[in-house]
Amino acid sequence: MTEELVRATLKEVLIEEFEVEEDEIVEGANFFEDLDMDSLDAIDLIVMMDKKLNIDLKAEDAQKIRTIDEFVALIMTRA
Amino acid sequence: MNTRRVVITGVGVLSPLGNDMQALQEGLESSRSGVVHVESWSEYKDFNTRVCGLVQWDDYKVIPRKSRRSMGRVAIMAAKTMQDAVADAGLSEEQISNPRTGISFGSTMGSDEALFDSIGTIAQEKTFIGQNSMSFLKFMSHTVAANIAAMFKIRGRNIPACSACTSSSMAIGIGYESIKYGMSDMMFVGGSEEAHAYNAGIFEIMAATSTRYNDTPDQTPRPFDTERDGLVTAEGAGTLVLEEYEAAKARGAKIYGEIIGYATSCDGEHITTPSSEGMEQVMRLALDDANITPDKVGYINAHATSTPKGDIAESHASYAVFGDKTPISSTKGYMGHILGGCGVVESIIGLISLKTGLLPANKNLVKVDETCAPLDYLFEHRYGNHDIVMNNNFAFGGINTSLIFKKIEG
Repeated sequence: MTEELVRATLKEVLIEEFEVEEDEIVEGANFFEDLDMDSLDAIDLIVMMDKKLNIDLKAEDAQKIRTIDEFVALIMTRA
Repeated sequence: MNTRRVVITGVGVLSPLGNDMQALQEGLESSRSGVVHVESWSEYKDFNTRVCGLVQWDDYKVIPRKSRRSMGRVAIMAAKTMQDAVADAGLSEEQISNPRTGISFGSTMGSDEALFDSIGTIAQEKTFIGQNSMSFLKFMSHTVAANIAAMFKIRGRNIPACSACTSSSMAIGIGYESIKYGMSDMMFVGGSEEAHAYNAGIFEIMAATSTRYNDTPDQTPRPFDTERDGLVTAEGAGTLVLEEYEAAKARGAKIYGEIIGYATSCDGEHITTPSSEGMEQVMRLALDDANITPDKVGYINAHATSTPKGDIAESHASYAVFGDKTPISSTKGYMGHILGGCGVVESIIGLISLKTGLLPANKNLVKVDETCAPLDYLFEHRYGNHDIVMNNNFAFGGINTSLIFKKIEG
């Protein structure tokens, strides 16, 4: 699984499911401070990415992610 | 005991006949039907009804995403009517979030769609993996009240009223009593229901759905008519803003009417079979609460759902209280049975009646069932000069409600 695929999938989920504006999805964007998401959104983001990419993400992983880059890095360690 | 007067100062509604009071009034006056043929229900085996009253509205993005994410259609529609009612009443954020401002909302179920999406997988695959955090918040019993409270930053009392077909009439009663007896100064009240095959299916199991008019949906349901063959489920939502009268008057609020009487009581008998005695009792209790005699009521909006037993029982209860001189109609003939939302939508029809004098006809009533009591059934629209209306609703569990509204002069 390439990082490009992960980033593209994440972008699609953020736009489609969380109604984030495309121009807000930039490197270093913080889910909670920049994208108006919260802890429940983080759990559902984990569930959706897990389904899309068939990786081993768990609800507790939601506590580890703060930024798009951190999340992509986490997924790459499980891929 | 010192009590306070309670008035209605804001209205929001989504119904199969239209999505504001004006559209609802025009739908009634033109005798339009909001019942349509639903072909997609044919995917269910041995399920025969194909008619449902549907709301033509899906502009979900008027509800902010963070509020909407935990709402199914049932709560989204209610939230939309809350938005409209708050705007109609012209309220500030401070008034809405005052600790003495509360809410009461109900529905028969939470979101059926969310329930189906979630529970089926859990039951079959015996795992919770893959479930998101929002499903339960969409289908839990008090999803409407909980979501509206969070979205509008309600700080006062929140009493969900989930009692099937009396959910929203009971919510209005809870709001009325909260203000009347001094626990709150303002209450947002109402209810909602979303259309789903499940709602119709549970009634079909009990042989209570309409199945003979699938190709002529505007001809069903037919409350009190000899040719009625069961109820038609529907969706819809409504919100009323209730305020203490003196405060409403002081701020120059537009006043739709006053709630002068409410009662809820229980049959304490059969879980589904309606009791004429229980219906009669709740009407008499509401009249007592309003401190009026039956002859003062100028129009009765009946619950009558077009089931064989229910319509007969209600007609005899109405006759026992009112005799045969009070105009009566069930407006379910126009839109079907909104279940948890019917009480508030039918109360709004009562407010339309107070404002315009409209006594809406029983749509689809051609010949009254001979086993129904002799009442002043409205066969055509009439216009009266009445100033008091009653709205009755009855639910599974023998739960009954009766509300009485009065025009405010000046």
